[in-house]
Amino acid sequence: MNEVINTDVKTLLTNKPIPSVFEQRANELLCGSSPLMAVVGDLKLDGKYGESLLLVCADRLIAIDHLHENGGIMMLFEDIEKAEVKRMYGNALFRAKTNDGKNVDLIRFTYSATDLCDAVGDFIRHIKDGDDIDEQTEVVKITYDNLRCFCPKCGRKLASPNADCLNCKGKSKIASILYGYIKPHIRMLIISIILSVITTAMALVPPYITKMMVDDIIPQKNMQFLIYTIVALLGVYLLQYSLGALRAYLLRLAGDKIIADLKKDIYAKAQFLPMKFYDKTSTGSIINRINSDTTQLQNFMLRITQEAVVQLFMMIGIIIIMVIMNWKLALFSLIPVPIVAILSRFFGRKLGPMYRRLWRRMSSISTILSDTIPSIKVIKSFTNENNAINKFNRYVDDWMREDKTTAKISSIFPNAITFFVTCGSLVIWFVGGSYVINDNTDLTLGVLVSFISYASMFYTPVNFFASLSDSYQNALASTEKILDIINAEPEHNFGEGNSPKFFEGKIEFRNVNFSFDRSKKILNDVSFVIQPGETVGIVGTTGSGKSTIINLLMRFYDDYEGEIFVDDINIKDIDMDFFRSKIGFVQQEPLMFRDTIFNNIAYSLPGAHVDQVINAADIANAHTFISRLPDAYDTTLGERGVGLSGGEKQRLSIARAVLKNPNLMIFDEATSAVDSETEKLIQDAIDRVIRGRTTFMIAHRLSTLRKANRILVVDKGRIIENGSHDELMALKGKYYKLIQIQSMSEKVAADKQAENFE
Amino acid sequence: MPRNFVDENTVKLTVNDKIYIDVELYTGEKFTMLEPHRLFPVSGLMKYISLLDEEGNEQMIIRDIERLMPESKEALLNCLNERYMIPKITRLIKRTEKFEIWMWTVDTDRGEFTFEIINSYQSIKILYDGRILIKDGNDNRYEIPDLYALDKRSIKLILPDV
Ligand SMILES: Nc1ncnc2c1ncn2[C@@H]1O[C@H](COP(=O)(O)OP(=O)(O)OP(=O)(O)O)[C@@H](O)[C@H]1O
Ligand SMILES: [Mg+2]
Repeated sequence: MNEVINTDVKTLLTNKPIPSVFEQRANELLCGSSPLMAVVGDLKLDGKYGESLLLVCADRLIAIDHLHENGGIMMLFEDIEKAEVKRMYGNALFRAKTNDGKNVDLIRFTYSATDLCDAVGDFIRHIKDGDDIDEQTEVVKITYDNLRCFCPKCGRKLASPNADCLNCKGKSKIASILYGYIKPHIRMLIISIILSVITTAMALVPPYITKMMVDDIIPQKNMQFLIYTIVALLGVYLLQYSLGALRAYLLRLAGDKIIADLKKDIYAKAQFLPMKFYDKTSTGSIINRINSDTTQLQNFMLRITQEAVVQLFMMIGIIIIMVIMNWKLALFSLIPVPIVAILSRFFGRKLGPMYRRLWRRMSSISTILSDTIPSIKVIKSFTNENNAINKFNRYVDDWMREDKTTAKISSIFPNAITFFVTCGSLVIWFVGGSYVINDNTDLTLGVLVSFISYASMFYTPVNFFASLSDSYQNALASTEKILDIINAEPEHNFGEGNSPKFFEGKIEFRNVNFSFDRSKKILNDVSFVIQPGETVGIVGTTGSGKSTIINLLMRFYDDYEGEIFVDDINIKDIDMDFFRSKIGFVQQEPLMFRDTIFNNIAYSLPGAHVDQVINAADIANAHTFISRLPDAYDTTLGERGVGLSGGEKQRLSIARAVLKNPNLMIFDEATSAVDSETEKLIQDAIDRVIRGRTTFMIAHRLSTLRKANRILVVDKGRIIENGSHDELMALKGKYYKLIQIQSMSEKVAADKQAENFE
Repeated sequence: MPRNFVDENTVKLTVNDKIYIDVELYTGEKFTMLEPHRLFPVSGLMKYISLLDEEGNEQMIIRDIERLMPESKEALLNCLNERYMIPKITRLIKRTEKFEIWMWTVDTDRGEFTFEIINSYQSIKILYDGRILIKDGNDNRYEIPDLYALDKRSIKLILPDV
């Protein structure tokens, strides 16, 4: 009997291996029927972590949890009215409602299994409706496949089963990123390294001359030689500092180029990131990355490629000279080096997390800025200036507190290092001094004096390498955040290059399910077909999912289940640029750029001819008001279109959409925020625009939908009615009710107005 | 529509089917199968509980759980405890990274569990009262009531992320 589930396990759809402890009970309950799919839950019915199991066959389901009586229950579909996921908070139940109205909890799970159980619930509903089992199993299989499609190389979840892992393909590690940016400027950098090696070598000359002065020239009172030496020294200085200037210039140039490349790349990358990324990431933190993190990173790169090389060279040079001058003393002066190495490791470990914490604080500040400065009008209108200041201060103080801790470590650290290194010089003074006092032949006074100078020069590179771990940790924190963007998955353009010749405008949604996050399901099994040229109204209460349907159609979000077709081609297989260029989208909140009106309209078709732009403005009923502005088409708009009324912005955005001559028009609440006169203007514009194009119109005012051939009524993420105005009126359902309510309130409003006029 | 704030002293709540409660007002008016929702699930666990009917329409609001009669309070709390699952992390057992996804194995008041954190910067939030809220890759939530009350090792592992 045990075999039933065992043999099936390979072909069985399941999210995890079936726990073996459940096998026996499962087989008993199955009584020989074979399961089609399984969900292994991660909670017990009492809400504690633990495993549970749901098995679904063609006519029954089985739930196993130790808390069920006898460890499990079996229910026949025919005894169930419905089975669905009850989302709670951080966890969910799969419940069945029996025909006599009783609720039975089947299994419990965290949000990790909600998608699957949703699919299972849909499956049961479809089977009960008499749909084909194999077909429905296929539908559920997609959900399972989605769950299982991980990149074999990196283990990340893929957008669809056969997709390339963009994460893997474009993956860059920190080192290769650094190299990538340094490479184009490698010549300049090498020249500058050579220059610095020369200047460093020259810096090593003066102490040696000191030795000559003390030991030979001055005791021998050789005036002529003194002058030669001084002139030579002058030449050395001159060369050293002029080369130094040249090097600084080259370095800055290379640095600027690196930073410019970094900024451009991150910005470019940010353009192609999906909406999902922007839903989760604050604008402030993105701006922070492009602005200040790039500087951090560039600083570090230069440090590594330039100073590190120079300092290393200097260190080696000094060691060599010291060894040649007196190897015993040289060994003494190296004593602190291992201590320094150990200390840097220790401090580096401490600093890493601190810089990461600091970064979070810094980015919170940017977030607040980018949030409040553009909304200054809101702040003022609620006289909330002082609160805004306080909140901002709190975040800055928070940052300051964190920086204080970091500052302690990062200030103690280099000084501790210097201390140890300086102690090394005491040793040299002592040992060398006693040599000289005891007239040890090994050491002259001149050698000792120059030795001390070399030793003090030696501290600079040691200090440098010690503090490198500080700036390394700091740069690392920034780099990680930059990598967040550079390595983020861009929008998938699976159908790149696949541009169909003709775009008729037939649109089909097939079993589309979608949620922004797992705590709430937004679209539920949405299916509909729109014929080319149809004008479709989407109505529904606020928050029902109207804009979300459009967002999916626009491919702003790709991780929905089910399929969307345009002209019978899956939209994921069409070139994204081509696809979007065929759609004119007038958004719920029209946004303009800080630019002239002309450019704002021409935005959709760069290089558009003036006639075209004026024509588009005309169609959108915008030309008249534009031409009355003193600067007409040259009027520069403020941020987000400041300087225009809502209705004017709306018409500009219609003009913008029209200009690109799309095959598919979408209006999301184009007339929601305007008076009835402007509404008429916009409505006229819309009527002109939609001719011959498949059109979606979302509208709260149902009167604007009179021209629609078809109306979709959305309620809580489901399409509950679909048909023409007359059909839906005859149906006397939700649409009918909405019409009734609106015409009633319109009548009331009209009566009121009439009263006021009297 | 005026909000219906009920008087905590005169209302009687009883659990119906785990996550639903039945309500009886002193007027004798009865409601069944209401679903309690915290209006402030993060900042005010014991305050402002909205009771929704099966359609999702709010029937009433209870301002303060503490002021309910003991049995009613217990019923409501049981019901809320069933619904709201924010395990409190008591120990971080393991924290490993693979492909920039962090796997945390933790001990919680609901048992041991392993979850993944996709982006620690976005998924871990520190509240001003010192609580740390964590959202995992599946949008489940967890809470660390007081980081510094954990053992040393857990603190050390978590600190870089906050
Ligand atoms: N970016 C987002 N992240 C998470 N949830 C979202 C997001 N955008 C919308 N939602 C949620 O999705 C649901 C549907 O939103 P949608 O914008 O589609 O509503 P709508 O029908 O267009 O409403 P309205 O008529 O007010 O414009 C809402 O409950 C909303 O809270
Ligand atoms: Mg909307």
